[in-house]
Amino acid sequence: MNEQKLKKLFTAAQNETAPVPPAHFAGDVLRAIRSEKQNPLPEAFSVLEQLNRLFPKLAWAAVIVIVVGVATDFGLTTAGIPNLSDGISQISSQWLFAGNGF
Amino acid sequence: MSDDTELLERIRNGATDDFTELVQRHQSRVFAILYRYERDAHKVEDLAQDTFVKVWRALGQYDGRAPFEHWLSRITVRVALDHLRKEKWRRNEIGLPELGEDSLDWLRSGDEKNELDARAASEILDLAMRELSPADRIVITLQEIEGRSVKEICEVTGSSSVAVRVRALRARARLKQALEKLVKP
Repeated sequence: MNEQKLKKLFTAAQNETAPVPPAHFAGDVLRAIRSEKQNPLPEAFSVLEQLNRLFPKLAWAAVIVIVVGVATDFGLTTAGIPNLSDGISQISSQWLFAGNGF
Repeated sequence: MSDDTELLERIRNGATDDFTELVQRHQSRVFAILYRYERDAHKVEDLAQDTFVKVWRALGQYDGRAPFEHWLSRITVRVALDHLRKEKWRRNEIGLPELGEDSLDWLRSGDEKNELDARAASEILDLAMRELSPADRIVITLQEIEGRSVKEICEVTGSSSVAVRVRALRARARLKQALEKLVKP
């Protein structure tokens, strides 16, 4: 496709006539606007606004996770099972040092 | 257009019915822009309606510094761009339509002096431009078919002049490749 042919293609396309808007078009637009006024779109919220709205729920979820963790640790210690930090240090010493002859 | 300013003022002051007058004044231009990107007249009508509803929603943001027509063109082109993005995905699913015999004959002929009617030219360009990204298609259409300057394209698309020039060059090269691909069996 040479430049001249491409130019001819563009020039010919410039002459194409678009469809004529129907007589009822402006009325249809007004009806769409009126129905939107009656049923407005839901308000859009930014990420920060959504986080603000969710904050009380997130705070409660965090409190529940902390309480469950503390209670589990306390329960395990009472039952004589090594608590979480002891357990982790035991596991890490077995994994990290066993292979090196420690 | 000073009449638009008065009309817009009336609409902003609550004369909703006057919006029909604004639509009637500019509807042909909106249809013409959208028809460059969508060949189905019913879809063009839906897109034009969508454009004017968006104009209505954003009317408070129009500050009157640029002519209303420019602002309207910008919204129309954005509607077209969104439409092309959706259609690109859909067209990938359903495949491409085929060109008519007249269009194929013109493309295959080595003589560029052969006559080509507007409808066939638009049919060829529509099919070839499907190979382009929606943003490339918008830029090349504005530049080559609507005959807009780089400055005007920048205003309509919100891109820098360098970006528009680079995109136009790239789009032109891709379009040529796509046109050559159309004539290959």
